[in-house]
Amino acid sequence: MDIFITGYGVISAIGKNVEENFSSLTQERTAIKQGLKSYTSKFKVGEIGLSNDALKAEFDLKTDGSRTALLGMVAAKEAFKNHSHFDALRTGLISGTSVGGMDISEVEYRKQMAGEEPNFKQYFHHPSGTTSEQIAAELGITGFVNTISTACSSAANAIMMGARLIRSGQLDRVVVGGTDSLTQFTIFGFRSLMIFDDEWCKPFDNSRKGLNLGEGAGYIVLESQKSIKTTGKIALAKLSGWSNASDAYHQTASSPDGDGAILSMKQALKQAGLEPHEINYVNAHGTATPNNDLSESKAFINVFNGKVPPFSSTKSYTGHTLAASGGIESVFAILSIQNNILFPNLNHTTPIEETGLIPIKNIQKNTEVTHVLSNSFGFGGNNSTLIFSKI
Amino acid sequence: MYYIHKIVSITHQDSFIQKDVNDSLVEIAEDTVLISPDYKKYVLPASLRRLSPILRMAVAAAKECQEAITIPFEAISVGTALGCLTDTEKFLNVINTVEGDILSPTAFIQSTHNTIAGLISLELKNHSYNMTHTQNNLSLEMALIDSMLCCDEGKDFVLLGVADEAIDFLNKLKSIVLPENSIVTSGTTFFVLSKKKSKSEIGFLACRSIIKAKEIEMEIDLFLQELKIESKEIDRIYTNQNSLDFPKEMVVNYEAYSGLYFTSNAFGVHMANDWLIKEAKKYALIVNSGCNNSLGLILLKNDKAQN
Amino acid sequence: MSELKEQLKSQIIEQLNLEDLTPADIKNDSFLFGDEGLGLDSIDALEFIVLLDSFYGIKIEDPAAAREIFHSVDSMAAFIESKK
Repeated sequence: MDIFITGYGVISAIGKNVEENFSSLTQERTAIKQGLKSYTSKFKVGEIGLSNDALKAEFDLKTDGSRTALLGMVAAKEAFKNHSHFDALRTGLISGTSVGGMDISEVEYRKQMAGEEPNFKQYFHHPSGTTSEQIAAELGITGFVNTISTACSSAANAIMMGARLIRSGQLDRVVVGGTDSLTQFTIFGFRSLMIFDDEWCKPFDNSRKGLNLGEGAGYIVLESQKSIKTTGKIALAKLSGWSNASDAYHQTASSPDGDGAILSMKQALKQAGLEPHEINYVNAHGTATPNNDLSESKAFINVFNGKVPPFSSTKSYTGHTLAASGGIESVFAILSIQNNILFPNLNHTTPIEETGLIPIKNIQKNTEVTHVLSNSFGFGGNNSTLIFSKI
Repeated sequence: MYYIHKIVSITHQDSFIQKDVNDSLVEIAEDTVLISPDYKKYVLPASLRRLSPILRMAVAAAKECQEAITIPFEAISVGTALGCLTDTEKFLNVINTVEGDILSPTAFIQSTHNTIAGLISLELKNHSYNMTHTQNNLSLEMALIDSMLCCDEGKDFVLLGVADEAIDFLNKLKSIVLPENSIVTSGTTFFVLSKKKSKSEIGFLACRSIIKAKEIEMEIDLFLQELKIESKEIDRIYTNQNSLDFPKEMVVNYEAYSGLYFTSNAFGVHMANDWLIKEAKKYALIVNSGCNNSLGLILLKNDKAQN
Repeated sequence: MSELKEQLKSQIIEQLNLEDLTPADIKNDSFLFGDEGLGLDSIDALEFIVLLDSFYGIKIEDPAAAREIFHSVDSMAAFIESKK
């Protein structure tokens, strides 16, 4: 059964919607810069320059929620715009998040630690599951709602689960993706891991030092053929393959040879019925950490038998948006297919010594893009791969 | 049918590796404590030292499940409503008390929800599909629906589990975000699932999650209708509700034994499973109602039972 | 120096939660990392950096370079002495 994509939405540091994000990508314009908040000011981050109130006002959001929920509402609304509700269609929402409502909880917790009176009611927003319920409520989706939390592979896994539920006949249509806002918790958390780059991150570069964090949300709408007969929507692309596999190597580090990544990419290709050489573009996980980029590069060489297709990490534009990355990058993968365009990997000078792989250095227009492979690898070795294809 | 080949629970009851978990149940009291096995039997000291209560109990339960079968699991699906609270709180304390930039990372690393499933894959050296679902009180239902998909997709044995832990802080939230008179507890339950028949021949027949439920009894009726089962065929109901419109002798409130954690309906399933075996009955329905009108319905069936 | 080493062992046990060990269990020249040693890993390397900062005011910027320093109690003590 074919799984079609009939809507997409995204908000990130490089744009408030799909059009703005696409424009930044094609103009090779990063939005990573010195943070504006008190806890981001020491770091280079991909911050969205809209406060929560501004988000509510600009996007006419009716449901209250944490920043993570609000960002999710913006992107999910864009994806679902022009979609209507039909009694006969079983519609669901599956969202990935790692932060949930922590942006609110950490404020209340800090108050308490400072001896002030916290507003305990605000902890209502904390659970990740509540974030998804709020996004679903904003879209009027009352059927199936689920939340996946597997760190940086969350959105990709949400997309995967949506596709599987459609294929099994349990849902007809599902909004899938992920959202995460910047929080003091994650900023300080990644600082404690010492994997930040003080400058602009350099994915796949030999001198890469680490990542820049970002925030955002990205969602797509999946439908079956049967559902499209009712909604009448035009398909933008197909989701032709997916897979998830575990590294089982270490709590934080990826296995040096990329075992989990090799498994997830090979299995996704097999499921899509594609040979490695049929992939025209890889949107890599490419966080720019010393560990990930080497491990992922080795996995590329293994899976593609040395003939690695054009690849890039778009995290050099948006920052690493954690759970949202798989959703945001799925939108980018679809844009690549729709526009026959390959997005470059910014800030790259020297290939990694051990592998010699060179990512896309400049924007490539008028390149036939039929199949795109997108990787999202989460902490704890949770490796996910999605494959998108032209209709 | 998705057969249950093994169930392992660690709770505030004496529930770990019991022949019948119902034999030694005592109603939860205020001074209740988690009854833990000797974790040293399951995790090496070098790893155990870091692990919070939720991680210890989930790994021990998962390892007991792996012992029950001779091949590796082909999928691991875990549900948790609130995740790793001990480490989340620890790291919040770190960032609010430590001056300067050098912060201890261990609590942060272990604060993510998927640490549970990730650690299990590490300890079992398992490279298969690994998922963490967190949908508040419907987290078991979500992880179960995923496990069923995995079985349908051809995976022989799937590890399904849930875990949630209590921290003191949760008591501050009573009557604000949590029910007023609740006794907050911790617990974990792990299952070995397969479409291959188990010795007990008991398994999950169906599962439904409803975000905004109408009347509970009505939803139960709809659920059973679709399965072509009449409500009088249900032998027992395990629930966290006191006011279900069913004969009293038919209804057991599992929360009286599990205490309050949002995936405690899994312990209700464990109780139901063991009861079906002992009494040779056919159907047990687990009704999990959330304070926000969410509803989870799980139907267990005993293939061995006569009508 | 030997007083520093005993102190370090207690601090290591505390920082890394080595609940079953006493300072007497850690030899001065034993490998701390890897299977032949105490079985410490890269997360512990980061915890050592925290230890050096909070107990000795020494800041280390590059965790990769720090592996050499954390080889054994001997090498850690020598490093701390050199920073005085």
